Amino acid sequence: MTTTIAEFFEGDLAPLVRRMADRPRGEGGDTDDDRRETRAMVWEGLVGLGALDGSDAVGLAELLGSVLYQGPLLDTLTARELFPDLGPAPVALAEGSCSDQDDTVTARCDFVGFAAEVEHFAVVGGARSALVRAGHPSITTRRHEETGRGELYRVDFDGTPVTAWAGPLDWAGAQVRQAAYLVGLAQAALDHAVDHAKTRRQFGRAIGANQALSFRLAEMSMRVDAARLLVHDPGTAAHAAATLAETADLARTVTTRTMQIHGAAGMRSDDDAQLYYRRAAAESVRLPQPRG
Amino acid sequence: MTDFREEVCALLCEDAVRAEIAQSRRMPYGQESGLLDVHRRLGKLGWLAINWPERYGGSGATIVEKAIVTEEMIRHGVPENVHSLGVDIVGNAINLMGTDEQKERYLPGLARGETTANVLFSEPDVGSDLGSLGARAEPDGDGYRLTGRKIYNMKAQHSDFALCAARTSTGPVNYAGITLFLVPLHSLGTVIEPVWNLSEERFDLITLDGIRIGREDVLGEVDDGWQVLNRVLPFERTGLDHSAKAERTLAALREHAPPGCEERLDRLETRVRAARLLAWRCIANLHEGKPDEIHSATAKWYTSETAKEVSVAAVELLGPRALLDARDPDAIADGVFDAVFREAPGLTLAQGSSEIMLYFVATSKLGLPS
Repeated sequence: MTTTIAEFFEGDLAPLVRRMADRPRGEGGDTDDDRRETRAMVWEGLVGLGALDGSDAVGLAELLGSVLYQGPLLDTLTARELFPDLGPAPVALAEGSCSDQDDTVTARCDFVGFAAEVEHFAVVGGARSALVRAGHPSITTRRHEETGRGELYRVDFDGTPVTAWAGPLDWAGAQVRQAAYLVGLAQAALDHAVDHAKTRRQFGRAIGANQALSFRLAEMSMRVDAARLLVHDPGTAAHAAATLAETADLARTVTTRTMQIHGAAGMRSDDDAQLYYRRAAAESVRLPQPRG
Repeated sequence: MTDFREEVCALLCEDAVRAEIAQSRRMPYGQESGLLDVHRRLGKLGWLAINWPERYGGSGATIVEKAIVTEEMIRHGVPENVHSLGVDIVGNAINLMGTDEQKERYLPGLARGETTANVLFSEPDVGSDLGSLGARAEPDGDGYRLTGRKIYNMKAQHSDFALCAARTSTGPVNYAGITLFLVPLHSLGTVIEPVWNLSEERFDLITLDGIRIGREDVLGEVDDGWQVLNRVLPFERTGLDHSAKAERTLAALREHAPPGCEERLDRLETRVRAARLLAWRCIANLHEGKPDEIHSATAKWYTSETAKEVSVAAVELLGPRALLDARDPDAIADGVFDAVFREAPGLTLAQGSSEIMLYFVATSKLGLPS
């Protein structure tokens, strides 16, 4: 399945996917509708190719990171662990504590992905998890203005009726998939840096001929290699959180160094270096993980 | 000296000034501030370029007072690029190397905070390797025709003129034959196109299509631009701007970090203190008239890398809250963490990249083979 999906992302679709949830900053360009259509098309394609089956979810997550996929698929996979009877509908995870006093949810949840286009919210993080239907009048959403310029929302539930209850979420599966996503992202950023180091010439030679750069790239390659083994062998639940923290640091480090290797050109909106850098920031702080 | 610092702080803490600074950071996407009222206030007091002679709008003070003003402006969040480009780089170069006529013409407006300038060095294919630049100034009567494309400069939309590097002759040594010119930015033959980027402030691609400049617009000597740059660079590479920025970010981070981060914050604070000491060592060198290139390279590298480290640590320690920009109603610390995170990559690239600083220290300080 992962191989088939990898083929799906090849070719002309790849650059569209990389920017399908990236809102330009003051420079015009595609409209939100264009990007939303691309996301809907990619969602249909992924579901059609069996992405919700749950087989090799870690490999799939790494692939999604490598193409910089932005959408509700990883959240939906996590929600389906809690609510296995869910159909093939997109779900967003919303972190907030659910009261068990009645059959409604009242909570403020920040940094909820793709809140404007999912069919359900899974409110998780408390003693119980709740599934609520998106679009209910008791739900208000506001898109965050943030570094990633993606589809992250503040969502307020005010007595929103619950359609299904489940126990508390065990974060381990989601943490490992997010870690795998970050490994894929780091690999893609590294590939971008290596390409640049081979072709950009300064002082009469390719900049990658300088050991200061080539050794740094080699070191990053080895760290990505190690992290890839980690996410496919996560160990205990405690290991899952630590693995996520390690890959979060890796993604931030690789993308920061990718920016340095690209120079000012990497800061340009039309260069993917800055896109990896911003996405690594946003994706590396998702889900509970040790900090500091 | 403490009294002067307190006076500067008192002005920068006024409600109107703070409100203007906050407003300048919440401008709609695609817009950015130029010179603010606070620049003009400082200019009117003779503080903006306080170390310049009084006849050019300064107060005849020393580089130490200038450093205090710069440090406090950044600590208080005044957008610094428009000031550092106009006064600290271009104006300073004119003050050091310009003719009396050039000083009369350009410095008073810069010192009053009424005009600003930008720097046209980098080109689409030329970054750190300035010796390879392609812009050319061909002799034309008693002046020159300047042709070339310049990129990764900032504030062109707010600048009246620019300091531009162009080749005036060729020879076996790449760095010879470069001349610095003071060029108008809004004249026929100059096309400015915005280049949107990661940071809050746009780059510009500036095409100079044979614009006419006179011999009186040469800064320093013809073919001797590299020497002019070497004279000016120690003033640009003190690292004071980066250390002040790191201090400001770290102070905000301490305020908002969750419990359990104290050790990490203490380590960062030690780095930031060291960064400031390196920066002020450079200021002391300049004050004594003894600029030290190795000290400058050390300060530039250490302070910019430290400021970058603090910005990334803020994301790690604060999590998603650090990513909210100043325009989000839930932003913390006026969105400073998002702003510095997006600005951070440029810190270790501009004014000489970290790699150039490391190379210089490796070869010039340690004596390693080049």
